[in-house]
Amino acid sequence: MPFRLEKRPAPSRLMLYATPFGALALTMIAGALVFSLIGYDGLAAVQQIFITPLTSTFRWQDLAVKASPLIIIGVGLAVAYRANVWNIGAEGQYIVGGLTGTWVALATHGMTGIWILPAMVLAGMAGGMAYAAIPAFFKTRFNVNEILTSLMLTYASVQLVYYVVRGPWKDPMGMGFPQTRVFSEAARLPNMIPGTIVHWGVPVALLVALVVWFVMSRSVFGYRIKVVGAAPKAARYAGFSTNATIWLALLVSGGLAGLAGVLEVAGPFQRMVPGFPTNYGFTAIIVAFLARLHPIGVIFAAIVLAVTFVGGDLAQTTTGLPSAASGIFQAMLLFFLLAGDILVRYRVRRVSSQPAAGVRAAAEAQP
Amino acid sequence: MNCDTPFRLELTGITKRFPGVLANDSVSFGVKPGEIHALLGENGAGKSTLVKMIYGIMQPDAGEIRWNGEPVTITNPNAARRLGIGMVFQHFSLFEALSVLENIALGIDSKVPSRELRARISAIMDEYGLTLDPNRTVETLSVGERQRIEIVRALLLEPKLLIMDEPTSVLTPQEVEQLFGVLRQLAAQGCSILYISHKLHEIQALCDTATILRAGKLVHTCDPRQETSRSMAEKMIGAGLRDLTRSRDRALGEPRLVVSKLSTVQADHFDVPVRHVSFAVRAGEIFGIAGVAGNGQNALLEALSGETPASEAGAVAVDGKPMGTADVSARRSKGLSAVPEERNGHAAVGDFTLADNAVLTARDRIDMVTLGLIGRDKAEAFAGKVIETFGVKAQGPGAIAGSLSGGNLQKFVMGREILQRPSVLVVSQPTWGVDAGAAAAIHQALVDLAQAGSAIVIISQDLDELLALCDTMAVINGGRLSRAMPVAEVDVEEVGLLMGGIHGETEASDAVPA
Repeated sequence: MPFRLEKRPAPSRLMLYATPFGALALTMIAGALVFSLIGYDGLAAVQQIFITPLTSTFRWQDLAVKASPLIIIGVGLAVAYRANVWNIGAEGQYIVGGLTGTWVALATHGMTGIWILPAMVLAGMAGGMAYAAIPAFFKTRFNVNEILTSLMLTYASVQLVYYVVRGPWKDPMGMGFPQTRVFSEAARLPNMIPGTIVHWGVPVALLVALVVWFVMSRSVFGYRIKVVGAAPKAARYAGFSTNATIWLALLVSGGLAGLAGVLEVAGPFQRMVPGFPTNYGFTAIIVAFLARLHPIGVIFAAIVLAVTFVGGDLAQTTTGLPSAASGIFQAMLLFFLLAGDILVRYRVRRVSSQPAAGVRAAAEAQP
Repeated sequence: MNCDTPFRLELTGITKRFPGVLANDSVSFGVKPGEIHALLGENGAGKSTLVKMIYGIMQPDAGEIRWNGEPVTITNPNAARRLGIGMVFQHFSLFEALSVLENIALGIDSKVPSRELRARISAIMDEYGLTLDPNRTVETLSVGERQRIEIVRALLLEPKLLIMDEPTSVLTPQEVEQLFGVLRQLAAQGCSILYISHKLHEIQALCDTATILRAGKLVHTCDPRQETSRSMAEKMIGAGLRDLTRSRDRALGEPRLVVSKLSTVQADHFDVPVRHVSFAVRAGEIFGIAGVAGNGQNALLEALSGETPASEAGAVAVDGKPMGTADVSARRSKGLSAVPEERNGHAAVGDFTLADNAVLTARDRIDMVTLGLIGRDKAEAFAGKVIETFGVKAQGPGAIAGSLSGGNLQKFVMGREILQRPSVLVVSQPTWGVDAGAAAAIHQALVDLAQAGSAIVIISQDLDELLALCDTMAVINGGRLSRAMPVAEVDVEEVGLLMGGIHGETEASDAVPA
């Protein structure tokens, strides 16, 4: 073998930031190849999915609206993953946050007051936290793997949406459609820029990323999360309780997912519908990893993933790509990213084969 | 030197470069048949890299390895074993749940029927007096017995050269003597032995030749019997060795740390809990706890540091205050600091900078936190002070802890605790794998701290270290602590027996003769 992997003396910072771009490039190349092979115009598909949403200014508001829930959830997941707490159920916490926010909106239906939206936001965050508290409880009490519990709870939350929109919260004027009534004016997130679909969730998302970045880099809380993730034994030695950190990590990530849920239901949806679960919670996992678990990086990673969402919709209508295409691109992105991660700790070295070759040549010369 | 004797192993100009480091710089030496050859050097001097190349784990960038006069390329450990090179590593690779026989069978390259293997193993054991029951499960064996498995495994291949990497660091004095007996017998039969160690008196007792490496270069080849421990240590570190300065007859004060009937619960299958441990350490006193690894030292350290609080508040008292149930932070604020054995990953976070590692334990006592925010400049200033005071070789507070050599990281960790002026300091293996220069500095710092009135507990497997530093010592075995003995009255023979589990007067009834 002419090449060999060699452990680096220290993780490469260059590779840490270069591999996400490499993964993006490989995703485009592999995507173009795969879709060409199965009979689509692969190059056009890649262009539609990755380039067009960026070049057409008209699409930027779509990007902002799609990126903001990804930012909010992704930032929370970045915090949890830093502590090696694998909350895979952000989608469920996002849904429950949307539901508890909806509950406030329906309970205050017809009322006015600027307190309604803040109350919804608090309810949404509390809902997300409560739903994340379930895996936290089982993890700290019975050492049940949080990956399984948080993931499975997602499916339960989806059923909960189906139940409430068909049952107790069904719109009495909705002609039998499974959905709640449209929220009153006071329970709707106002548009930030008139004439666009950009709502106040967008600046909130940026603010969340900035605040979490500050907290993670400067505070004892952020330090604690990082120590627990990097060296659990050192964390105990430093006086940080592992169980308390698991709780904190899940509550922060669940609370932020709940915040994203309530902003989404009060913003773009303005009512609860069966189509509310849009996999933002799962896509945010890719966002968090693509961002190297850095809160500011999450902003850019969320935009990249928002591009694939918007571009995927475009490619459906123009190139006729199936709706699953954007999911395939997102999965490839995560796949290449994780595979590329080996380059952070290892490097590829050409093995000098002169001595071995010399011996072989000598051996061949003899008979 | 007899030029007629051909070397069994001869290295010429071996060079190995890692990014930023020249690990071996044109090293040349030879090992004759039947010679016990010591490879001596500080941590990071390049000993491990060199033997890894001899054992085929790495390839040299330049230079030549000759085996019985023939140039060879050792591409992997399999090739090394085929040539007749065996190696016993410092850290054993054994499956705890399997038997001795199964472990040996797994470790050899060729398939040998179990019955034949058993016969060959018992022949080897008889020949070298290595007593070991092939059917015992490894988890029930002592460290010395585990090492015998590795030795038997290596001897099965009838090696012509046996590499021993720091073999005595986990053995009792009696076990060391047994091991030396085996090695001398092997050498008498013509097997060459490359013996890596930093314990100079062992090298003097055992080896015919010593090759001293410093910073990747061969600095000296000598006959260890013609040298003193001090002269070899000075060649190793390339500078004069400072003497430990202390006043032996200083007055000890009031008890600062009182441990009474401290017991821990077994945390997992491999944990050895401590049972009814009681001792007291006075102001200015250095209290040593000797013992072979795996006899409850880790549980004791974590019970004292507060990582596993006790159920009774009175089990641990600092300056008269019961602290048995207090957590790590509460104990630290009362002045009880601890340094665990494992530096990277327990006492320090390898991926963090030194400044961030200073925050780990010093954040409250050095007042680095305001309103929940960490004052970076304060952390950097403190880390800088540790680096300067303790002569840590690092680029500064921003250096990544994992990039430091073991000795330097240990100096940093010890300095971090000592500069916080703890009233009680508990350290485990303070100089484990640390070079002679750094070890001397750490020893001096501990003595100075005691002289300033702190109570110090040193948990160590290195008996020499304890005898040199401590005022009082006790032996831990199977989670129980022996009575405390003034070091001046200690009988090494007795300590060795205690380490091996013979408790003499107290537990004579259930002691098993070795």
